[in-house]
Amino acid sequence: MRISILILILGMGIVTILPRFFPMAFLTRWVIPERVRVGLGYIPISILSAIVFPILFFNEGGKVEIQPHYLLSAIPVFIFTWKVKSLWGSVVLGMLIYWGLGSIL
Amino acid sequence: MDNPQFKAGAKAALPIVLGYLPVGMAFGILARKAGLTTFEVGLMSLLVYAGASQFIAIEMISKGISWFPIVIATFFINLRHLLMSSTLSLYFNRHSLRTLGLLSAQLTDESFAVAMSDTSKISNRPGYLFGLQVTSQVAWIAGSVGGAFFGGLINHKGYGLPFALPSLFICLLVIQIKTIHHFWVLILAGVSSLIFKWALPGNWYIILTAFLATGIGMVIETARGDKR
Repeated sequence: MRISILILILGMGIVTILPRFFPMAFLTRWVIPERVRVGLGYIPISILSAIVFPILFFNEGGKVEIQPHYLLSAIPVFIFTWKVKSLWGSVVLGMLIYWGLGSIL
Repeated sequence: MDNPQFKAGAKAALPIVLGYLPVGMAFGILARKAGLTTFEVGLMSLLVYAGASQFIAIEMISKGISWFPIVIATFFINLRHLLMSSTLSLYFNRHSLRTLGLLSAQLTDESFAVAMSDTSKISNRPGYLFGLQVTSQVAWIAGSVGGAFFGGLINHKGYGLPFALPSLFICLLVIQIKTIHHFWVLILAGVSSLIFKWALPGNWYIILTAFLATGIGMVIETARGDKR
């Protein structure tokens, strides 16, 4: 194994563990005020929304471009999940629709 | 770490496994093309375990960029985990640093989102989160080593596989809609993430969106004077 790649992997390992570890290790020992607690409750939906929307409206090169293939697969998954809260079902349904669209579009 | 919780967590990870295997394979194939050995691919997936950063590292390696800029880029890409780790910290308030270290080392966007889909299951139950995360990382390592080893034998873009992780994220997003406030925060976060991504380089849009949308969510909730 090349030493430069080993340094790279260890370096990447260290900088990825820091933001994962510090809040969990030290905020757990701190009593969080109610207002901050309410705010943290909106973090999951904000992050998920910020992950999903760009997938639908940006291409792989990072340019603005509607992704009809993704968008058309996303809508039924959204509705299905709203009615039937099943992670497995949604993922399999999404893959099937995407796969099916691949032979049409 | 008692067993039934670990098993329940591992079971909850199955949708993530479905997404990680093909994406991990894609990573393995590309990493081999960029000159990494199968062992190096496996070691990176074990010690770094961050999808976006690993893909960007491969891209930078193939352009001949040295380790230091890649490590800096990795640091900034993963700053978003600060927010997820802060959120998770609410649910683990009487555990040893060792347990918290183990749990936080395997935090990813996907495992965080699945953990948040039913917080009653993770609250002071490290075994559940551990099972969820170990299973996810095993899938990531297996996918990337498999991709590096078998190379082009399997088509990782077939069978709707590219849409596995987007479906998972959409599903988890829907599960987070608990009140009308959440719905408005969703729309606001979605639109602002598009603007931030368009206007700014790199992955800053996720952190900025989280701050903006969370701040506005707090304002809405305080203004209405009601609690969820």
